[in-house]
Amino acid sequence: MEIFVIIGVVALLAIFVVAQYNRLVRLNISVDEAFAQIEVQLKRRADLIPNLVETVKGYASHEQSTFDAVVAARAKATSATGVADVSAADGMLTQALRGLLAVAEAYPDLKASSNFLSLQEELSTTENKVAFARQFYNDNVRALNEAVATIPSSFFAGFAKVSAREFYEVEDPQSREVPKVNF
Amino acid sequence: MSANFRNAQGANKRKTYFLLVAMGLLTWVVAYAALTYFGAGTTTFVVPLAVGISLVGVWGSYYGSDKLVLTMTGARVIQREDNPELFNVIEEVVIASGLPMPKVAIVEDSAPNAFATGRNPEHALIAFTTRILEVMDRDELQGVIAHELAHVANRDTLVSAVAATTAGAIAILSDFLTRMMWFGGGRDRREGNGNPFLLIVSLVIMLLAPIAAMLLRSAISRRRESLADATAVAFTRNPAGLRRALETLAGDSTVVRQRSNAVAHIWIESPLDGKSVSQLFATHPPIQERIETLRAMESLGPNQ
Repeated sequence: MEIFVIIGVVALLAIFVVAQYNRLVRLNISVDEAFAQIEVQLKRRADLIPNLVETVKGYASHEQSTFDAVVAARAKATSATGVADVSAADGMLTQALRGLLAVAEAYPDLKASSNFLSLQEELSTTENKVAFARQFYNDNVRALNEAVATIPSSFFAGFAKVSAREFYEVEDPQSREVPKVNF
Repeated sequence: MSANFRNAQGANKRKTYFLLVAMGLLTWVVAYAALTYFGAGTTTFVVPLAVGISLVGVWGSYYGSDKLVLTMTGARVIQREDNPELFNVIEEVVIASGLPMPKVAIVEDSAPNAFATGRNPEHALIAFTTRILEVMDRDELQGVIAHELAHVANRDTLVSAVAATTAGAIAILSDFLTRMMWFGGGRDRREGNGNPFLLIVSLVIMLLAPIAAMLLRSAISRRRESLADATAVAFTRNPAGLRRALETLAGDSTVVRQRSNAVAHIWIESPLDGKSVSQLFATHPPIQERIETLRAMESLGPNQ
């Protein structure tokens, strides 16, 4: 009789350990997947840029410094690896693109061209996708970091070779700036 | 209690469990009443039969829900080329939710509305009426899509199938038993309890159980709608988009010319509740209440 009780307790313990281990590994994989999704969307955005720059150039050829900033930011963004680098380059490119679109505002012919309109739709949906991919990544990191830090899953983190991961934070100077208030 | 989307999701999930447990208990009470009234012989035959019929009926439609609903609503599946902008917005929310890309369908209808179905995220389908695509701006549409994908993520086709099976089994059981009473039933009453008070109580339970089951089923549906609103905010972090979409829906009095009342509960705005006598039987919470909840989430700021 006692032998069955012991076997039962051991089996339950084994199931518990396996479940904790698998949960941590799964959370870790979803963080990897979510990061891959950010990179896919950033790549899509980078691919749109040459076309966009060419289109704007057709109407506003003398805005060379804006084009250079976008091209430089794009080069940096396509070569970056790792969460910190990618997010820094991402922020710079977002900033440069904002400049480019601001230039476009001054040229009514450009704004009305069908090519520009379809590029603008593509760009805005890609911007949204990048933003949602970041948010999804950060949600996954949050779930993983919570599991790594809380009992009982925290006991198995070392065993599963899983540790807390970095959040994806965008270096966007504009969103950091304190708004000026005049009285 | 601060009404952010995480709390709202947790509360609605807990209430669903509670309601599903209540439904299980109700089934048990009905079976017990049958046992008291008719005795073991009839009951052991009738209860499994009623549950079986209900299971076959509901789970067949659950399994083929994506195809079945297409025929019942007259929706037509579209591809990316048909409406690239709609697909762009859907893809955005898909990325935010981490779900696979659903099938997309259009219903030719002059009422703005939308629904989601499918037995699991891999077989999900979301549909929009032609009118909703005309009246909503990008943010509102994003909110509506997020609400529909939230149903997919929360497995609401499964939850409503479970609720429908239980309610169906109770209805069939009650129907069988009342018929048996009129047509010389209770043959083996000697086996059962002879206490007249208990017999009357059992009778009342059997007669009223289907109504109670319907009330529970509607309550579950309402909780899943509130949950989908909260989950939608978790996807987009933009309660204002969905709130404005609901306001547009509330302001529009046209209803979907649907072919069957059987699929009324799947739309984002119920086509029936306007006529409903009592809110207790409504499949959706009052739209003003949903708007207020979202407004409260907006006031918490962008980072909740």
